Amino acid sequence: MRAEDVGLSQAEYQRILELMGREPNDLELGLYGALWSEHCSYKSSKSLLAHLPNRGEAVVQGPGGNAGVVRLAEGVEIAFKVESHNHPSYVEPVQGAATGVGGILRDIIAMGARPIAVADALRFGTDRPSMQLLEGVVKGVGQYGNAIGIPTVTGDIGFSSTYRANPLVNVMALGVRRPQEAIGAATAEPGQLLVLVGQRTGRDGIHGASLLASRDFDEESQELRPTVQVGDPFLGKLLMETTLQAVKEGLLGALQDLGAAGLTSAVAELCESSGVGAVLWLDRVPLREPGLTPYEIMLSETQERMLMVVPEGNLSRLQAICEHYEILATVIGEVTVGHQLIIHHHRVEEAHLNTTWLVGTAPRRPVDELWWDGLNSSATLDEALPEVPSFSVGLLLKVLSHLDVRDRWSVYRQYDSMIQTRTVLGPGHDAAVLKLRGLEPGIALTVAGPGRWTAVDPYAGGAGAVYRALSALAAQGASPLGLTDGINAGNPDKPESYRAMAMVIRGVADAARATGVPVTGGNVSLHNETQGEPIWPTVIVGAVGRHPRPEEPVRDRLSEVGERLFLLNPAPLNWGGSAAAWTTGQPTAYPRVDGDRARRVLEAVRDWVAAEHPRAMRVIGDGGLGATLVRLWVASEPSLGIEVQLAEKSPQEKTLRFYNESPLQWIAVLAEDDVDRAIAWWTRESLAYAELGRVTESGLCIVDGRYQWAYSDVMAVWHQAYKEVEA
Amino acid sequence: MRIGVVTFPGSNCDTDTLEALESLDVGVESIWYQDADLAQVDGVILPGGFSYGDYLRSGALAAKAPVMAAIRAQVEEGALPVLGICNGFQILTESGLLPGTLRPNRHGEFRCDWQTLRVVEASPFFPGLMPGELLRLPIAHGEGAFYVPPGTLATVFQQGEAWLQYVDESGLLNAVINPNGSMANLAGIKRGSVAALMPHPERAMADYLGSSDGRRLLSAWLKGIGQEGSYAG
Repeated sequence: MRAEDVGLSQAEYQRILELMGREPNDLELGLYGALWSEHCSYKSSKSLLAHLPNRGEAVVQGPGGNAGVVRLAEGVEIAFKVESHNHPSYVEPVQGAATGVGGILRDIIAMGARPIAVADALRFGTDRPSMQLLEGVVKGVGQYGNAIGIPTVTGDIGFSSTYRANPLVNVMALGVRRPQEAIGAATAEPGQLLVLVGQRTGRDGIHGASLLASRDFDEESQELRPTVQVGDPFLGKLLMETTLQAVKEGLLGALQDLGAAGLTSAVAELCESSGVGAVLWLDRVPLREPGLTPYEIMLSETQERMLMVVPEGNLSRLQAICEHYEILATVIGEVTVGHQLIIHHHRVEEAHLNTTWLVGTAPRRPVDELWWDGLNSSATLDEALPEVPSFSVGLLLKVLSHLDVRDRWSVYRQYDSMIQTRTVLGPGHDAAVLKLRGLEPGIALTVAGPGRWTAVDPYAGGAGAVYRALSALAAQGASPLGLTDGINAGNPDKPESYRAMAMVIRGVADAARATGVPVTGGNVSLHNETQGEPIWPTVIVGAVGRHPRPEEPVRDRLSEVGERLFLLNPAPLNWGGSAAAWTTGQPTAYPRVDGDRARRVLEAVRDWVAAEHPRAMRVIGDGGLGATLVRLWVASEPSLGIEVQLAEKSPQEKTLRFYNESPLQWIAVLAEDDVDRAIAWWTRESLAYAELGRVTESGLCIVDGRYQWAYSDVMAVWHQAYKEVEA
Repeated sequence: MRIGVVTFPGSNCDTDTLEALESLDVGVESIWYQDADLAQVDGVILPGGFSYGDYLRSGALAAKAPVMAAIRAQVEEGALPVLGICNGFQILTESGLLPGTLRPNRHGEFRCDWQTLRVVEASPFFPGLMPGELLRLPIAHGEGAFYVPPGTLATVFQQGEAWLQYVDESGLLNAVINPNGSMANLAGIKRGSVAALMPHPERAMADYLGSSDGRRLLSAWLKGIGQEGSYAG
């Protein structure tokens, strides 16, 4: 076997020779190939990610574990993370998406937390095959989440031809644990047993990490279908209950899930983070079919498996739990002193490696600090305002029918969003709100990250995604606890793609630092590139917050005639990468948002909402003010109407105000009696606002007295199911 | 009074159901599907989920489980009150304790949504739930289209087995709001001491969750068990 057969470069191979002082055998080479792959080692992105702020008051566990953990309240911790399953979902959409959900759920479980929510962020092309991919992916997400019984409570869907051959399937999961249930991969001790629990190992997914997820797509990629794994949520459920029971009873020394690169990655990561070695007896691994080679066993990505590290005295109790749940548990090795990973198969030593070579010294691309410092500059910053179409009735309908702006209900109703009975606000709102039993504060969570923004300006788009997510928490009066980021980009060996990814990360880092919210973990998916065409660099930001009164979330609909509408923190008139800009084909760069100001605005809005509890709030989202007004309206009684007066004078300025999508803007809906108090509060906090208008009984939306839409006209466009917009 | 909630491998609404019952101040007992001892309970709920993964047909394997033989015996001998929810409904039709079958949703998709239901027939096991009464409950299923062979639907109604129907918000039957292609919009069926519905009452226990009509339905059932006292468990 040659280095390139396992996805390694010649230079990397030379480094292996230096480390080992001999030639690796095929199995050893395979282990290097997997662990030094982009997917497992983050070699291109790790030094960039090191710039993300990850400390904070609420942080219990930062990046590096299977998921980040933050403290929600005394005695309650939240584990959460976003992961991607992009490549597999293109090759096999249903199973690719299903195993994506299963994979991130096991990451949460591996922290000792019980998963209570899933959020999915999806990106597709706009042609017919893309719509079929969408259908398959949604089926897959639902198939796994619905069956294992974890609600999918929120999400984000976007479209562009850039994702045609590289759809994005990013899934965030969130779980809760008590502090005494904390566990991870860093606490294994010599003498403890390695117990493989769950599915029998088969030939599925071999080299998924190194060959499928860490290379660009080409004509041969379809032949990689056998590298996609198959998910079994039924077994996943039993494995989850088994694992959580073992954690609860304190039986485990350490815990690691099996994901990308299977047993190889699980054992190596466990040893490296615990500072121990291991002996494996591969002939003991239960197989689905006879005759798997040590190489296949080590690299199989069979789903629904956990590696438990168990003190010998606890083994029989663990086996009893596994028997109850009718799930296999097999001792396959032992933790040893030192750093040696020794792999036996039928008493033959098949591999002998230092785990530090495999994980600790994996190649890493350095970052030039001067170059990093300059990544936030923008050459097009002072560009004059773009030519935009005059304000018209037709433009709103056009923007509403943009695939990013449409109602997402056709997707969300395929997900069980209510199981576990914590969902107070589910999909279709800016943030989901969960009420935990017997606990005062609840959880608000959201995912955001318009690729349209990063396409125009990766830095501003990265920062914008953070601000958008935090705006959704602020609209609920929720205090942010932590962020997770999913970076999706092209081939990092190409300078433009690498720079774009770096700019996105820089944007996320700057916004997170300015707002004081730590990034506790995340995921990077590179090589989203087909036949030389990279995707728009795209970041999915997930945010988790503490909700002050989850039983009474802030609503996002109109409730009665006479309510007043305000635009909070109106952004400078700008077109950016808004849906309207892309619809008319003229996106422009963004002005930089001042981080300190962003923090002040977010805190002011959060505090005001928490204290005053407005009738309704909605973050200015995809499609801008116009589409956001529509979202408020269509959630309300059809007999209600909206009358809006825009302060802008020229028809072009009106257009820019109505479709501007800049982050950190909200529509606030107030009862007439509350207006004076709200204005006094905003003024005291230097929070800019513009009065928009009021709720009427006309059943119409009227702007400036002359542009007018009927409820049914708007619904007919906004409520359309997803359908291809190009051949 | 004690109510047993059966957990099959892969049941996923068992915890929600136990908690819903606890909030109604009734004693609860979790019953593993391999246990066949029902002596301590006055009624049994088969909760929702994907028992055995439902790779064959929803509920088909669970219907053969040891606990089902015990339930059948107690229903036949002592009119044990049994309530099936979602997958529990599927298990009860598969085991023959209720008529009909539940087919995959006609549109082929899983469906999670709020639905309005109308009570078709009163039942002594649900005192206070009067014919025509409306309930707002969530559904979440991929196989919920109630089906009986041609020519037998009238019998279901004549024998008082049609229990709940999907209706619009004003309580009227119409085909558009039928979420799954169920015959006659049927959402719930009853026979003797056994009743089942596709919607999830255990998810509608508080206004902040969208409705507390599930509390009404489950309270009525508990009240019925108390009044009937027919099963001396």
